[in-house]
Amino acid sequence: MKRKHILSWVGTAFFCVLCFIWVLPIIIVLMDSFKSRTFISLQPFELPTEQTFVGLENYIQAIDRYGFLDAVWWTVFITIGSVFVILLCCSMCAWFITRVSNRFNRAVYLLCVLSMVVPFQMVMFTLSLVADRLNLDTPWGIIIIYLGFGAGLAVFMFCGFVKSIPIEIEEAALIDGCSPLRTFFSVVLPIMKPTYISVGILQTMWIWNDFLLPYLVLDTNDYKTISIVIQFMKGSYGRVDMGAIMAALIMAVIPVVVFYLLCQKHIIKGVAAGAVKG
Amino acid sequence: MAEVSLRHIEKVYPHAGGKRRAHKAKDGEKKGPNLKVTDEGVLAVEDFNLEVADREFVVLVGPSGCGKSTTLRMVAGLEEISRGELYIDGKLVNDVEPKNRDIAMVFQSYALYPHMTVRGNMEFPLKLRKIPKEDRDKKVEEAAKILGITQYLDRKPKELSGGQRQRVAIGRAIVREPKVLLMDEPLSNLDAKLRNQMRAELIKLRERIDTTFMYVTHDQTEAMTLGDRIVVMKDGTVQQIGTPQDVYDHPSNVFVAGFIGTPQMNFYDAELVREAGGSYTVRVGDAQVVPSAEKQARLAANGVGSQSITLGVRPEHIALSDEGQNVLNGVVDVVELMGSTVNLHVNAYGHDSVIVAQAASLMEHAGIVKTGDAVSFSFSGNTVHFFSRETGLNLE
Repeated sequence: MKRKHILSWVGTAFFCVLCFIWVLPIIIVLMDSFKSRTFISLQPFELPTEQTFVGLENYIQAIDRYGFLDAVWWTVFITIGSVFVILLCCSMCAWFITRVSNRFNRAVYLLCVLSMVVPFQMVMFTLSLVADRLNLDTPWGIIIIYLGFGAGLAVFMFCGFVKSIPIEIEEAALIDGCSPLRTFFSVVLPIMKPTYISVGILQTMWIWNDFLLPYLVLDTNDYKTISIVIQFMKGSYGRVDMGAIMAALIMAVIPVVVFYLLCQKHIIKGVAAGAVKG
Repeated sequence: MAEVSLRHIEKVYPHAGGKRRAHKAKDGEKKGPNLKVTDEGVLAVEDFNLEVADREFVVLVGPSGCGKSTTLRMVAGLEEISRGELYIDGKLVNDVEPKNRDIAMVFQSYALYPHMTVRGNMEFPLKLRKIPKEDRDKKVEEAAKILGITQYLDRKPKELSGGQRQRVAIGRAIVREPKVLLMDEPLSNLDAKLRNQMRAELIKLRERIDTTFMYVTHDQTEAMTLGDRIVVMKDGTVQQIGTPQDVYDHPSNVFVAGFIGTPQMNFYDAELVREAGGSYTVRVGDAQVVPSAEKQARLAANGVGSQSITLGVRPEHIALSDEGQNVLNGVVDVVELMGSTVNLHVNAYGHDSVIVAQAASLMEHAGIVKTGDAVSFSFSGNTVHFFSRETGLNLE
């Protein structure tokens, strides 16, 4: 009993240290975001002092000079738009290919699964060319590209869940008077809510933080996402505005942290449900 | 309420492997649980003919894989009809969508919408038909009252027991007063006690609602107790259609005789002898049984000659006798005390014969019967059934 108690304490201490190491970079960035640009490079790991503390100057700089709020708006637009399109299209697609079993649908499913193992770097050159030619270099256009990239995982996850829904429920809906579309929106969609949340969270995290795809595809003169703005803060000829970068990083992280805290319950539920269902 | 007419209905499931596989399949070849395989595919239902009258309760019964659920699903419109014609209320509905057939269906797995409350589930079909809220509420309340689920209207299905869920499923089906109510093994997921209770409630419900019922089950007790007529199926074909009493008393073949009745009918290899005077006797083991005059007349009318037959006797028609002439002798294998009755499994002439005896009467006449005891038994000539050894058909 005593040994078990000690082991429990050792475990707790170990994971506390691990958590601290995990959070440390964020704490350092937070501290540095309140320091003047010069001291960020000279004393990166020290707490702000009277001499180094500049208040919210870095934040104001990031917002005013680098158009951070515009970037937030475009990032929100692209993330919400992409996640909405991915959830709607992929859930409908997964429902169809699971319920209508034929060779074509099996091939579509395999194609979706295959797309998960193709690295982005392999297609990025041709993709940026195609996106340019099809005028997809706008926030509206990039939503379509995100749909393509997000479809693999989303269809895979939705298919797994649709298989677990008894077909009799959909048949009952058909007999009750639903059209196939009404069956989907009134019956299947509400049942799939846990999977919508899981897929939505995964896609949101990825699209919000993505840098390479918008950097390659978007016309960066007109549209910048948060990650692109932070990259632009580095400027050219080695000129780096570290204060603004630190402030922008903190501002970029806040929505993700808030989103995670709000959805924490659903994330855990989704993971647990997946574990039980196998 | 409506008549349902199934004329030469067939269901063929095409070969999964496509044409190449189909060429390999020979016409008439059997597959799976003895289903016919043709060039087209597997014949799940073959030449099904049935006329269901208005407000009739018809039960399709048979073992797993016999095509009873497929037939019901074709009536519901959930399975395409490969051949034949289906009429509901005089209208050909082969190509009519399920929602436009004016039918309702109760599934074995309840198939309730898990995200809706009981009220939501029951009013959903009414909402889809754009029935005003006041009428919807009234109909839901009425159906809930009939089924005794008024207190659960605001609960979700997961908060209900199996029996309550099945009541909700029935409520959802009856609330819109369909012409035909289809039930696909609705009591199979319930435990034995609840099943008996729900069976009685279905009988009562049937009296209260004006609709035609088609009910699928593999449980012959349900079929016998619920149906006005029962349709016995095997391997996709109809074996017999008739009232429960008719099917029980005059089974058309060995399969029906064995399937209907619990414990199942005993079968013995026997010789049917037509005497010079035209009368029949049956020799089974060391015993000789003389069929009743009625049976004699039926056999004679069918022109049945002397032949080897399968003799069928229901367990409750066998009586334990003293040793002597015209009795069969065997050894008790198993004694099952069922309460008021005792099932004796007796090994006689290489067959396991089941005898149902009244417990009190058994105690009075034979005392305590134990495994290994030698017993003699006999049966009367008016309770036996004669089946052709070759075709399995009833010779009467």
